[in-house]
Amino acid sequence: MTEAALPAPLAAPSVDRERLAAIGFVLPSFVIIAGVFALPLVLLLGVSIVDANGLTLANYKRLLGTPYYLGVVWNSLRLGLLTTLIAFLISYPAAFALARARGPLRSVLLATLFLPLAASVIVKAFAWTILLRSDGIVNETLMALGIIEDPIRMIFTETALIVGAVNIFLPFMILPIYAIVAQLDSRYAEAAATLGASPLVTFVRVILPLTLPGIVAGVALVFSLSVSAYVVPTLLIGEKYPTLATAIAKAYLLAREPGFGAAAGVVLLAIAIAVVTLSARLSREPK
Amino acid sequence: MSEAAPHLVVRGVSKKYGPTTVLDHIDLTIRRGELVTLLGPSGCGKTTLLRAIAGLAQPDTGKVELAGRDVTHVPPHKRNVGVVFQSYALFPHLTVAGNIAFGLKVRGAARREIDAAVERALSLVKLGHLAGRRISALSGGQQQRVALARAIAVEPDVLLFDEALSALDRKLREEMQVELRRLLQDVKATAIFVTHDQDEALTMSDRVAVMNKGRIEQLAEPRELYLRPASLFALNFVGLSTRIAGTVLAAGNGKVEVETKVGRFSALGNFQAGSPVIVAARPEQLRIGEQSEANTAAGRVRSVVFQGSRTLVDVDAGAGESLLAELSGRDGKIPIVHDEIRLSWPVTETFAFPMEAQA
Ligand SMILES: Nc1ncnc2c1ncn2[C@@H]1O[C@H](COP(=O)(O)OP(=O)(O)OP(=O)(O)O)[C@@H](O)[C@H]1O
Ligand SMILES: [Mg+2]
Repeated sequence: MTEAALPAPLAAPSVDRERLAAIGFVLPSFVIIAGVFALPLVLLLGVSIVDANGLTLANYKRLLGTPYYLGVVWNSLRLGLLTTLIAFLISYPAAFALARARGPLRSVLLATLFLPLAASVIVKAFAWTILLRSDGIVNETLMALGIIEDPIRMIFTETALIVGAVNIFLPFMILPIYAIVAQLDSRYAEAAATLGASPLVTFVRVILPLTLPGIVAGVALVFSLSVSAYVVPTLLIGEKYPTLATAIAKAYLLAREPGFGAAAGVVLLAIAIAVVTLSARLSREPK
Repeated sequence: MSEAAPHLVVRGVSKKYGPTTVLDHIDLTIRRGELVTLLGPSGCGKTTLLRAIAGLAQPDTGKVELAGRDVTHVPPHKRNVGVVFQSYALFPHLTVAGNIAFGLKVRGAARREIDAAVERALSLVKLGHLAGRRISALSGGQQQRVALARAIAVEPDVLLFDEALSALDRKLREEMQVELRRLLQDVKATAIFVTHDQDEALTMSDRVAVMNKGRIEQLAEPRELYLRPASLFALNFVGLSTRIAGTVLAAGNGKVEVETKVGRFSALGNFQAGSPVIVAARPEQLRIGEQSEANTAAGRVRSVVFQGSRTLVDVDAGAGESLLAELSGRDGKIPIVHDEIRLSWPVTETFAFPMEAQA
């Protein structure tokens, strides 16, 4: 507290200088966010509600009023929710295992998480098509082992889509949870036990709440990534599972309906923001 | 149950981590309502012994009995043991009241009972006004009190403190020592403190267990521990002393004659002639000048340290040996550095310890 020690006439300007410095630090990122995100978003919103005749909600009516496009919205939601749920169920125990692992095992496990992040989504999605197609590795192996006689249809099913999406987005769930779990002092669980809490009660009342911030971060990341995924559904399931992301691409690239594409984009963003905000609210500290 | 009945019994408890023996056949019996301190250097196994009592570490051999029940294989959540951790381990996602209520809640106590117990525990540690606070908004001393309140709220059979005061600054720690002792006596708690602070051990406890390398070297009341240390280690660990190496010349009747490089001394102890020993005495037993039935030695004053009610005088007795005397203001003239002085101390306050036991 150096200011406190200074005589009053000197202290006042130094506080102002600190505030100025703070603004100075924030300003560049503010400018970038405003220019790169906010401005395009405003334009997007504008395009979605304006046509040749002025203001209109037609694009939104078409999107949220026709069964086909409601199905598209539902597909996106389903993809996002299923991927997030399954990724969470795998990641939560995995994060604990990772935090418990010691020495070289831990390095290897962390590397297997980080390395795939360096590969492009397209490469990973293609890898899945190679694995899953009728003459792919999985089918060939199963047939060679005599477990099945004819290839099973795996590629271009929803299962393939979810499996691929979970695989590709998994690190974004594990890493934030792992970051929290690795910091978790084992003494909290011990304190709970000495106070009479069984392992299950300790988990529900102590471990889960303390790791919630990691869960929220992982859920927010994986949901917003998977609900808006484009490459993954395009390569792993294709035409028969249209999502908001593929609909947007179609509207811009094929149908030349920028207004409709923009409306789909706005809806997609609204869904992602709603889920992220909702999950963030869950992790608030008490009072 | 009578006051004197054994309440916590640790019998032959051993524990190894890999090749290192951390606890080596520990025996410890504590009466109901007793406050016992485990005192020892870092790594001697204090925390491990506490964890074995709490059920957080499984001993390799031996038994733990609590309130007449063999709890050796009972998991911690069924032991009814309260632990105050050094880091407090307060739940950051709960308020002060939420932390204190935790133990009762998980035991399924009724809402009214919980509220009453929380209020009682909070007023006991004088934190009633902070019930709704977040843990992160508390000072270290306040967190220490909340941890204590949380542990006593469930009325455990025994309270275990692992260096619970060591994170506090000296002044607050000394206040808390006195306050904690009074509070624990008020609620008639049975408690074990772990510390490596000898003043804390002497202040807080009815009995002190001096631990060294996984063993209890001495279990005694603070006064006895200071006046009659059972080993060189106990002597060194609690309080200051003068120590001189020598060889036993003659022995008998619990007394020995010891030849040293700075003179011949009589001391209490049972040894065979020829044994190498350390002769020791507490500094306040050393006086300037002669007294009857006393050992004496002379030397040149090396340093004089004034400490308020007492003055510590370090005397170079030659041959690499030194004498440490603690003189009070009443002892008349305090020497100055380079004075040649002669010190004496009673034979009955002189101990001999085996040389090889030196830690
Ligand atoms: N989980 C463990 N795994 C391996 N070794 C351990 C473990 N816990 C403790 N030890 C070892 O056991 C010995 C005793 O540890 P302990 O924590 O009981 O000491 P302590 O007396 O409490 O020391 P301090 O005063 O430093 O807290 C140390 O050598 C320590 O390294
Ligand atoms: Mg310890």
